[in-house]
Amino acid sequence: MRRVLDWLYRATGWLAGLFLLAIFFLMMVMSIGRQIDMNVPAGDDLVAWCMAATAFLGLAHTFKSGEMIRVELIFDRLAGRSRWVLEVVSLTVGLVSVGYFAWYAVQLTYDSWRFNDLAQGVLPVPLWIPQMGYAFGLVVFAIAFADELARVLSGLAPTYEKPAPKTAEEVVERAIQSGV
Amino acid sequence: AQTKWDLPSAYPPANFHTQNLNQFAADVKAMTGGKLEITVHSNASLFKAPEIKRAVQTGQVQAGEVLISLHENEDPLFGLDVVPFLATSYQESWKLYQVSRPAIEKKLASQGLQLLYAVAWPPQGIFAKKDINSVEDLRGTRWRAYNAGTSRIAEIAGAQPVTVQAADLAQALATGVVNTFITSSATGVDSKVWESMTHYYDTQAWLPKNVIFVNKAAFDRLDAATKEGLLRAASTAEERGWKLSQETTRKNMEIMAQNGMKVLQPSPALADGLRQIGSRLTADWLQRAGASGHELINAYKSK
Amino acid sequence: MDLITIAGLILVVLLVLLGSGVWIAVGLLACGWVGMQFTNAPSSGYVLATTIWGNSASWTLAALPLFIWMGEILFRTRLSEEMFRGLAPWLNWLPGRLIHVNVLACGIFGSVSGSSAATCATVAKIALPELKKRGYDEMVSLGSLAGAGTLGILIPPSIMMVIYAVAADVSIIQVFLAGFIPGAIVMGLYSGYIAVWALLNPGKMPPREPAMPFREKLRESAHLIPCMLLILLVFATLVAGWATATECAAWGVMGSLAIAAWSRSLTWQSFWASVMGATRVTCMIMMILAGASFMSTAMAYTGIPNALASWVDSFHLSPFVLIMALMVMYVLLGTALDGISMIVLTTAVVLPMVSAAGFDLVWFGIFLVLVVEMAEVSPPVGFNLFVLQTMSGKDSLTVARAALPFFFLLVAAVVIITVFPATVTWLPRLVFPS
Ligand code: NA
Ligand code: NA
Repeated sequence: MRRVLDWLYRATGWLAGLFLLAIFFLMMVMSIGRQIDMNVPAGDDLVAWCMAATAFLGLAHTFKSGEMIRVELIFDRLAGRSRWVLEVVSLTVGLVSVGYFAWYAVQLTYDSWRFNDLAQGVLPVPLWIPQMGYAFGLVVFAIAFADELARVLSGLAPTYEKPAPKTAEEVVERAIQSGV
Repeated sequence: AQTKWDLPSAYPPANFHTQNLNQFAADVKAMTGGKLEITVHSNASLFKAPEIKRAVQTGQVQAGEVLISLHENEDPLFGLDVVPFLATSYQESWKLYQVSRPAIEKKLASQGLQLLYAVAWPPQGIFAKKDINSVEDLRGTRWRAYNAGTSRIAEIAGAQPVTVQAADLAQALATGVVNTFITSSATGVDSKVWESMTHYYDTQAWLPKNVIFVNKAAFDRLDAATKEGLLRAASTAEERGWKLSQETTRKNMEIMAQNGMKVLQPSPALADGLRQIGSRLTADWLQRAGASGHELINAYKSK
Repeated sequence: MDLITIAGLILVVLLVLLGSGVWIAVGLLACGWVGMQFTNAPSSGYVLATTIWGNSASWTLAALPLFIWMGEILFRTRLSEEMFRGLAPWLNWLPGRLIHVNVLACGIFGSVSGSSAATCATVAKIALPELKKRGYDEMVSLGSLAGAGTLGILIPPSIMMVIYAVAADVSIIQVFLAGFIPGAIVMGLYSGYIAVWALLNPGKMPPREPAMPFREKLRESAHLIPCMLLILLVFATLVAGWATATECAAWGVMGSLAIAAWSRSLTWQSFWASVMGATRVTCMIMMILAGASFMSTAMAYTGIPNALASWVDSFHLSPFVLIMALMVMYVLLGTALDGISMIVLTTAVVLPMVSAAGFDLVWFGIFLVLVVEMAEVSPPVGFNLFVLQTMSGKDSLTVARAALPFFFLLVAAVVIITVFPATVTWLPRLVFPS
């Protein structure tokens, strides 16, 4: 079970990375293509869908790696039991919110399939196809929250906790990961 | 009891569609004796343009305004008003709307929507950086393609179709990523197109329409008097909207000319070439729309 | 319940959630849900799924992961080290000498990186030990790095600007262009302060180093070439019409890959590590944007932003007073929040207000970036402070005190752009005269 879950987070994370590469390639092809009289029909739509896929498929992996930001002002000053309680509360709020979000993302995708909703650009792609990454990514994200909650409840440390950086390289890497 | 509705729209407050919509909301309040209040959320502040129809369909809001041709992939009927060179003036566009209105209402009803009113945008003209005296002159230009119709025009005319998002358009025009495109004079004025373009050809290629509709279930919940007041306000708004649109067109032409653009009528050769492209595109559309489409076009042409 | 009570309630819920360590994105989602309960929207779940899909599947946003990836690639090269070596020989004549390297290197690195903390950390990694070794005062060195690091988000490209442009629905390229002159102003203020400080404290300056022959100076400066070529490439593709404003981010990635390959730091392993690093940062930011877009929608349904805008309007504040009041609010927020959250949390409410007061939204974007910069160097939560704290081994108070003069220089920059708005709007208007 543990191995299956870890594989799931890693695999969706890699998929997200591949969609990021796809954004890059599509943009380069669109840009260079214009110089050589080649148009990518609905290239803008394709990029937009890759963007959504990257954003949502990578969530669980990002969360597990400890790169989802939270305000740690109070948190860092706590230890032991009270810290554990706060951790459980945060994870429960997270599980409920993300679970709710995932449920409706699945619903949205299912509706697009039911109504046979088509993309509005040059390529009439059925919308449920690009929305799959959205729905699936959020479901895996919700699973990751449940997974972490179970860990913390059973007394283990959450996986997203990171030790403080030691070398200058680590500081630089963390700084880049902060996104700010 | 008082009912409150939300109505999302994607256009900025200064746009004539939005102004008409605000007046409509005020009329509804007055004509229903305050029983129905509509809050207009303009400028895509609630939902973005592509999501509005779905939001009304699924009851997330009770009413909405959309450019109906955005949904042409769903049903060719929604793309009838953007078939190039089919209806090329306000009179023709109105006629086409009257002919197709029952079919559009039926289609919308099947999706749980009820049409309130529709207003045309100013006609589409060609913007360019050089003289376009015939369709030949479009060959090799970088032509912005943003839907099925504009892609096909590029294909037939031998122009290079270029995909550029609205957000990137100003910069794309300034740096020559795009050097010809077809759009409404309203868009041209809003984006101060004279900074990068020199010629405007008033081809009146088509007049896309914004449609204002309401969720059928929400409509059915109103009492008879309120329904009547709402529909009365809608027909007033439709009449006012078409007038506003024509005024806007006239003003836009003046503004473009004042800013040094050459505002031109298409030469006979260009008009002729465009008409030929138009008949091919109408044939394309008929192929997609099938028998009911033939009926509509025949009814329109015989009127 | 009246709107003020609802607004207050949402604010309290948000503060409690964020304070108790709930992930920012999750807190925003939850608050959006609370807000939706006070509207006549039938189903908040459907609204949630629809708006976030509409906001995330976006062409314009796609520039964000690419700019982040660009930074990830460059961090794995020796760019910052080369920059130090290239700049140092030319600054010996200025009062303050090599301390100016901090400002200049951050300015140059800021024009290829979109992040403030990354700029600060990358330059500090090289500059801090070098300056210490040569006997420069550590407080000024730390303070100038904290302050100049924030140039990463003021000089384009900038993650904050992309986020703002998407939230405010203004042109990314115009906000980028607007950042150049304020960036130069801030650099000027920093360098001016360093020079004045050095003149007033001659005892704290190390002895002068022997001058380097001119030819050798030139040879050392050759290290700056790759970075300059990269900046040039991005702008050339844009100006020549090869790329749209969004696509030039892809060219930036292309150039960064070329630099990495040329400096032999590009392997399959480092390539994939940079992709995954960028993916994680993108996901983190996108989830916050998703939460924020749901909260904005909930706010729009309630009508709070408009009510608040007309409430502020009723005071008839002069534009200058309004901006100063907003600055105080943002400085307070900035003590505890990071920049992304500050922008996405407030735009729904503040933008209607400033538009009503007649401010240009591109101008306001630069104002916001400047207050976010202040937040990066203000304790207790300031990312540049964290970076320098770990790198120098000093305690947080010392670093914060070192950064304080530079915090006030940013306040001065806000006053300058408010009094002379043309410093911001001149360049975008020159390129897009509208
Ligand atoms: Na930057
Ligand atoms: Na701070």
